[in-house]
Amino acid sequence: MPTFSSCVSILRQGFGRLAIFGLLLLVIAGCEQTKERPKLKIGYMNCNNEQETRQRFVPLTRYLSEQVGVDFEAVPVDTHDFEDRFKAGEFAFTHTNSLLYVVLHENQKLQLLSAEKRGHFGARSAGAIIARADSGITKLEDIRGKRMVFGPMMAPTGYLAQYDLMLAAGIDPERDLGYYAIPSGSFKHEKLVYGLYFGQFDVAAAPVLDLEVMAKEGKITAEDFVVLAQSELIPYCTFGAAAETDPELVAKVRKALLGLTADATALVDGEQVRVLKAAWVDGFEELLDSDYDPIREMAKRANMPPYQKF
Amino acid sequence: MLQDRYDKLLWLGLLGVIGTLGFFLFAGSVRESAAVDAGSLDRAMEQELARQAKVSFVEKIYQPVSKLRQEGQLQSALLKLDELSVRYPGEAHGAILKGEILLEMGALDAAVGSFVAAVQRNGDYVDQHHPLSRFETIRQLVERGLREIAPRLQAHPDNPALAESRKQLFYLQSRLAGGCE
Repeated sequence: MPTFSSCVSILRQGFGRLAIFGLLLLVIAGCEQTKERPKLKIGYMNCNNEQETRQRFVPLTRYLSEQVGVDFEAVPVDTHDFEDRFKAGEFAFTHTNSLLYVVLHENQKLQLLSAEKRGHFGARSAGAIIARADSGITKLEDIRGKRMVFGPMMAPTGYLAQYDLMLAAGIDPERDLGYYAIPSGSFKHEKLVYGLYFGQFDVAAAPVLDLEVMAKEGKITAEDFVVLAQSELIPYCTFGAAAETDPELVAKVRKALLGLTADATALVDGEQVRVLKAAWVDGFEELLDSDYDPIREMAKRANMPPYQKF
Repeated sequence: MLQDRYDKLLWLGLLGVIGTLGFFLFAGSVRESAAVDAGSLDRAMEQELARQAKVSFVEKIYQPVSKLRQEGQLQSALLKLDELSVRYPGEAHGAILKGEILLEMGALDAAVGSFVAAVQRNGDYVDQHHPLSRFETIRQLVERGLREIAPRLQAHPDNPALAESRKQLFYLQSRLAGGCE
C-alpha cells in the first residue's frame, strides 16, 4: 500500500512533467510569433511630391500590413520611373493613376485590384477644358490660336482627356493653339488653374476632381470659369498587383481595401491615424478591367502610351 | 320644505346660483373649445408659413445652381453646390440637386448615394404632396437602378460596391412605400 509520502512524490513528478511540457509549448508558440513576416513593397505614384505621398499613404500601408500579416513598405515613385522600376520587380503592389495602370497592364501584365473613390463621381472622374468666365471664350471652337495650359502628360483627367476632346472637335493641339505649356514642379493642377485665373493662359485642361476640391476649399468659385467641354467619366486612381504576387495575398489585400471604412485607423509615429482621411480617399471600389476601355480608346486616338506610334 | 315664504326665497336663491354657475360653466367650455380651434388654426397656419418660407428660402439659396443647370453648365452647377455645401452642410436640398445633376451626367450609382443622403435628412422629398417632392424622380431612379444593377450583381456577386448600391436602392424603395427612417 502506498504511503502518504510516496503519493506526494508521484504527484510532484507529475506536476514537474506537466510544467516542462507547458514550458515547451510556450517556447514553440513564442517561436511562431517571432517568425519574420514577409516584406513587400507598394509603389505609390507621386501626385505632387514624396513627402505628400508618404503622408497620404503610410497609414494605408500600415493598415494593409496589419490586415494581411505582411510588412509592406510604402515607396513613393516618380511617374516616369514607374514602369522601369516595376519591370525590375521592385513592387508587389502599385497605386497609380488609371492611365499608368493601363500602361502597366498592357506592358507588364499588372492585375487590377480596386479603384479609389473620391469626389462627386466615386471611382470615376473627368477632364474639363475651362476658360475664365469673362474671357469671351464660350465654346470649344473659340480656343483656336489661344494660350493653353495642360496638366502633366501622363494625367488621364489633366491631359489625355482634354487632348482627346480637342481632337474629337477637330482641333489639333499641336497646330491649332497659339501655344501650350505644362507647369513645372509639383502642384501642377493647381498651378494651371491659377495660371488661368491670373491671365497667364486663356484656356486650361483641368481635372474635375481638382476643381471640386478647390471649390470646396474656397479657392475658386463656380462663376469664375466656364466649362467649354468635359470628357466622359473614367476610372481614377487604381491599385494593382504584379502578376507574380501570391494570388492568396492579392485576394487578402483586395478584401482589406474594399472593406475599408472611415473609422479604420493605423498606428503611425505613436498616433492612431484615420486611414481614408489621411489618404484623401472616400473608399475603394472593385472595377472591371473593361471599365478602363474608354482610357484605352482615348490613348489610341491621342497617340499616347501604351499605344504610341512614332 | 316649502312651508313659508322664507324657505321659498332660499330655494329660489339656490336655484339662481346653480343656474348662474351652469351658465358660466357652459359659456366657459364654449370659449375654451373656440380657443382650442383657434390654437390649432394658428399652428396649422404657422406650419404652412414655415413650409412656404422654407421652400422659398431653399429656392433662393440654390437659385445660382438652377441657373447654371438651365444653361447646361452641369459641372459648374456641381461646383456651386460644393461652395454652398460649406455654408449649408446639412441641407438636404443640396443633396437632391446633386443627385439630379449626377443623374443627368450619367453617374447613376453616385446619384443614388446623393438621393439617399437627402431623404435621410428630410423625408419631405418622398412626400407626394410636398412642394419640394421628388417622389416621381426617385421612383424612376429606383426602377432604373434595380433593373440595371441586377445583371451586374449576377455577374459579380462578391462586389461590395454593387451590393451597397442595391441596398441604397432598396432603402429608397422603402421610403417611397411610406417606410420610416
